[in-house]
Amino acid sequence: MKNTRFMQRRLAGLCAPFALSSSAALAQTPPLEVTASFSILGDLVRQVGGDKVRVRTLVGPDEDAHAFQPRPSDARDIGASALVVVNGLGFDDWMTRLARSGGYKGDVVVASKGVKTLEMDGHGHDHAHDHKHGHAADPHAWQDVGNAQQYVANITAALVAADPANAETYRHNAERYGGELKALDAEIRSAFAALPAERRKVVSSHDAFAYFGEAYGIRFLSPVGVSNNAEPTAKGVARLIGQLKKEKIPAVFIENVADPRLIERIRAESGTRVGGTLYSDALSASAGPAPDYLSMMRSNFRTLHDALVAE
Amino acid sequence: MHPVPPPLIRIENLTLGYDRHPAVHHLSGDIPAGALVAVIGPNGAGKSTLLKGLAGELRPIGGRILMPTLPPGALAYLPQRGEIDHSFPVSVFDVVAMGLWREIGAFGSLSRTQRQQVRDALAAVGLSGFESRPIGSLSGGQLQRARFARLILQDAPLILLDEPFAAIDSRTVDDLVQLIVAWHREGRTVLTVVHDLEQVRRHFPTSLLLSREPVAFGPTPQVLTPEMLARARRLSEAFDEDAPECHIELPEDTPSLAATAHAHHADPGHAPAGTPHRH
Amino acid sequence: MTEFLISPFTDFAFMRRALAGCLALALGATPVGVFLLLRRMSLMGDAMSHAILPGAALGYLAFGLSLGAMTIGGIVAGLVVVLAAGLVTRASVLKEDASLAAFYLLSLAAGVMIVSLRGRNLDLLHVLFGSVLALDDGSLLLIASIASVTLFCLALLFRPLVMECFDPAFLRGVSRWSPVAHYGFLMLVVLNLVSGFHALGTLMAVGIMILPSAAARLWAKGLPMLLALAVLFAFGSGVAGLLLSFHADVPAGPAIVLVCGVVYFFSLLAAPGGLLVGRLPVRHHLKS
Repeated sequence: MKNTRFMQRRLAGLCAPFALSSSAALAQTPPLEVTASFSILGDLVRQVGGDKVRVRTLVGPDEDAHAFQPRPSDARDIGASALVVVNGLGFDDWMTRLARSGGYKGDVVVASKGVKTLEMDGHGHDHAHDHKHGHAADPHAWQDVGNAQQYVANITAALVAADPANAETYRHNAERYGGELKALDAEIRSAFAALPAERRKVVSSHDAFAYFGEAYGIRFLSPVGVSNNAEPTAKGVARLIGQLKKEKIPAVFIENVADPRLIERIRAESGTRVGGTLYSDALSASAGPAPDYLSMMRSNFRTLHDALVAE
Repeated sequence: MHPVPPPLIRIENLTLGYDRHPAVHHLSGDIPAGALVAVIGPNGAGKSTLLKGLAGELRPIGGRILMPTLPPGALAYLPQRGEIDHSFPVSVFDVVAMGLWREIGAFGSLSRTQRQQVRDALAAVGLSGFESRPIGSLSGGQLQRARFARLILQDAPLILLDEPFAAIDSRTVDDLVQLIVAWHREGRTVLTVVHDLEQVRRHFPTSLLLSREPVAFGPTPQVLTPEMLARARRLSEAFDEDAPECHIELPEDTPSLAATAHAHHADPGHAPAGTPHRH
Repeated sequence: MTEFLISPFTDFAFMRRALAGCLALALGATPVGVFLLLRRMSLMGDAMSHAILPGAALGYLAFGLSLGAMTIGGIVAGLVVVLAAGLVTRASVLKEDASLAAFYLLSLAAGVMIVSLRGRNLDLLHVLFGSVLALDDGSLLLIASIASVTLFCLALLFRPLVMECFDPAFLRGVSRWSPVAHYGFLMLVVLNLVSGFHALGTLMAVGIMILPSAAARLWAKGLPMLLALAVLFAFGSGVAGLLLSFHADVPAGPAIVLVCGVVYFFSLLAAPGGLLVGRLPVRHHLKS
């Protein structure tokens, strides 16, 4: 009836200012304080949380989580956070201890929960200072973009639980970002699949790329064990050089936190190309090629791919 | 009339000490060239300190020491044995050869003549055959002989010896005293800190009796009298923590104390040889 | 036999470089280590590895992760610490160990503070310390030059240095070389330590200075023999350690130092200056 529709429109017009003002009120609530252990995690949280969260990262871009020395201000800041996100798998156990000592009472979100883990190859890993030898899990799960999707899912669930009011936003962001992750994953897979199997081998100084290798079919060889601190043996170096020469490995990579001199030695003697920098444990500075997770994975992908494709 | 030769060492109102406490207090005197002086006194009397001051190891806290006619490097000083590292792997020959430093310097090598000089010096002290032995294998007496051999090679006109006979066997002491007497005959000036008063009486023509303040300085028979020795013994060994500042200034024209050239006669009515006085 | 001993070096360039590095260290750092040992300063190496931190930190602040800048910074910091400690030892009642300890601790604290103020968490000292298997041209050149400079200076300063160790009072009396010998020696120590750290890491640099010297001391009576034997032990341990690392697949630096240790233990037992000599029965003593 004409009257009802008129009335509906009048009512809608009356309600509009209220709706506007209530959303303005909502926009004024302070963002959720989240602390993440290292730069890669920090970026993922930011992607899901958007402007509803304020993320602080303890181990920043280009920094080495092994050598992290927390300051009293770090403990204080974590204590004041609403949410703490760690990688888990022995990578950042110190974070949980730091959070508790700073007075954080909530749940510590383990981003890697549910991920199918790989084992390390027997050498001790220095990330976890109190881990047992032998069959510890390799913590670098984020190197497989598929796992990153699991990380995002865990982070989303945690944000939703901590801040239900913004659940919609979080889920929306997660879905959008998840789509980007999926696309990248597919892109990498197809690009490497196109290469012949005997080309898909590289040497890198940091054994942090097991997940990448497993997911995308690349064999990563290294002169030392998983940790930065393990000492090289002459036999190991000799074996590697022999292998590089014999199997004509296309490329050798320098990691952004390890000592490049050993890599350079191996490269000079075997004639292998130095392919560029791979980012394993940390994002680059914002002006660099890997300021966020997607860029980082894309950068690694491009670097590897270009090196392997070239003659 | 013979012109009086200038003294080799002139000491003017010298005060040497540690931490502002004087160990040698207001000493003045002349030591002529060629003198053989025994420095004696009770423990803590400042004897070693005086030698350190003369050798340049200690800066005076008052007064001064003048050696105008002495060319640089012409002073040989033998301190007590404390700073030597006995376990250092160096041979007796190498240690003694260092006496030739003034000739060969830090880099020069030894000529054949010089090597023979080293061997001769070792023979003079009774250490022939010890050339290649490590210095750490020497006994106390043998080590002191080696140091004297080094002194021989230094060939210095002025020789200062700080307690050279401490804890040494008597045969070595006798041999070393003979060396000192020989130096005196060669015209060198030797100051030696000695404890054995018999030795002083027998071999040293001049004595300086120190008890922080100078007590007596002159020919040995006149210094080593019971009254002088008794006065010296009244020294207090420890520094007085509450001592006031010392403001004794000696008059400008204080003549020198008696030296052997002036045969100064002490008589009972006369003030003791050590105090300032007019001739 | 040659297959075992020679072919690792003929087949691989990195092994030849490592061998050259060991030779340079044995010729330069080990003689310095002999004198350190004789002057009772053997623990200085470890102290110095901490003392160089503020220099390396400042080099890093100014030039980023440039190994050259950090090494030079480390050398400067090391020299400052060592010369200041030397000055304090000569001019005050404190002895070598106290004055060095005071300065190296201050230096380390300053270094940690500089690094943390800047906010970066890089493990600077870890980046600064190399490995014998990773000697690039720059590092080899560095340790070879420092070995040459050291040999030259030791030859030049030999007499004053020996006198300064044995009878410093006498040296003071006859010459003015005493402070030159003292400070010159300390500077050589710093140069050799820092270049050793840069090229080979703390363990190996200090290990190859002190262990062969200690072993040689047990055998030699005179100083020239002591030096020669120490250098021989050092280089021999280097070769043996590299071969061990090659055939038994163990880390190279520690292997070299452990071989030095084996030589040391053997010397402790068998040498005339060692443990057993006084205790075993003697068949016939000599007539004179």
